[in-house]
Amino acid sequence: MKPEEIKRIISESIKGDYDTGKIPEILENEGVSYDFGKGFTEKVIGRLSGISLTMKGDAEFRRSLNFAFYRIALTGAAAIVILLISLFLMQDSFSFNSLLGIGDSVDESIVYLITGF
Amino acid sequence: MKESYRLAGDDELVKASLKGDKLAFSEIVNRYRKMVARTVKGMLGDSVYSEDIGQEVFVNLYNSLPEFRGDAKLSTYIQRIAVNLTLNEIKRRKRFFSMFSHKGGDEMSEIEIADPENEEKREAKEVVNKVLMSLDPKFRIIVVMRLLQGYSTKETAETLGLPLGTVLSRLSRAQEQLKEMLGKL
Repeated sequence: MKPEEIKRIISESIKGDYDTGKIPEILENEGVSYDFGKGFTEKVIGRLSGISLTMKGDAEFRRSLNFAFYRIALTGAAAIVILLISLFLMQDSFSFNSLLGIGDSVDESIVYLITGF
Repeated sequence: MKESYRLAGDDELVKASLKGDKLAFSEIVNRYRKMVARTVKGMLGDSVYSEDIGQEVFVNLYNSLPEFRGDAKLSTYIQRIAVNLTLNEIKRRKRFFSMFSHKGGDEMSEIEIADPENEEKREAKEVVNKVLMSLDPKFRIIVVMRLLQGYSTKETAETLGLPLGTVLSRLSRAQEQLKEMLGKL
């Protein structure tokens, strides 16, 4: 088909009432065809698999993090309980001073403040 | 590929794709890749960027399939995604090129003719590409729908989400631009 003919088809296609249903087929026969390169479908599916792999990876990481946090929290809670029990056994009380390791004797504190020993 | 999917309807393919069946989605891609190529390459020219946008269209489709209720045809839904992505790409290019040069991004579209069988066919494609690229994107999209997709004005309006009157007025404006362009070719 000569370029003049192509130009005529283009002009016709812009007229609002013109039936353009057959134009793509005519153009395709004249070499005006459009498609993507080889392996296009595989590339799309590859990108989708990449996305779902990333999503799977994210979920796995979150699950591991939750598990690790749970284990750490349990160990921490057990350590606190043991510390409190040992404090109680040594100091015979749960007072603030016993937690800080300061004796309850007021006299001792006064002597320390006055003499520095 | 499963032979049954070649004969399957769009609804069946959508349902299977929603269940994660990649073979079903491959069939959707194969079925509509040419239609998407006509829109994307007609708007952006035959370049490597068009290939990327084409892939993006199908990735977006896959991600938005759960929202597809089947009110419109699958082809119309895909076409809308393709139109939105190409128009966004044109805007992005315009912004990018306006920062670095006074030329519009549209002018940077490469027009490559893949494996021309003969001079006449090569010329035909060149004429179509030159004409399309000479048009303003808002007129070009309407000409692409009419010329390359073979849509009626009503179908064009539905696909682009525009009133019929707007499509008709843009067609007449495009006609004015084209008259000048075709005279020069």
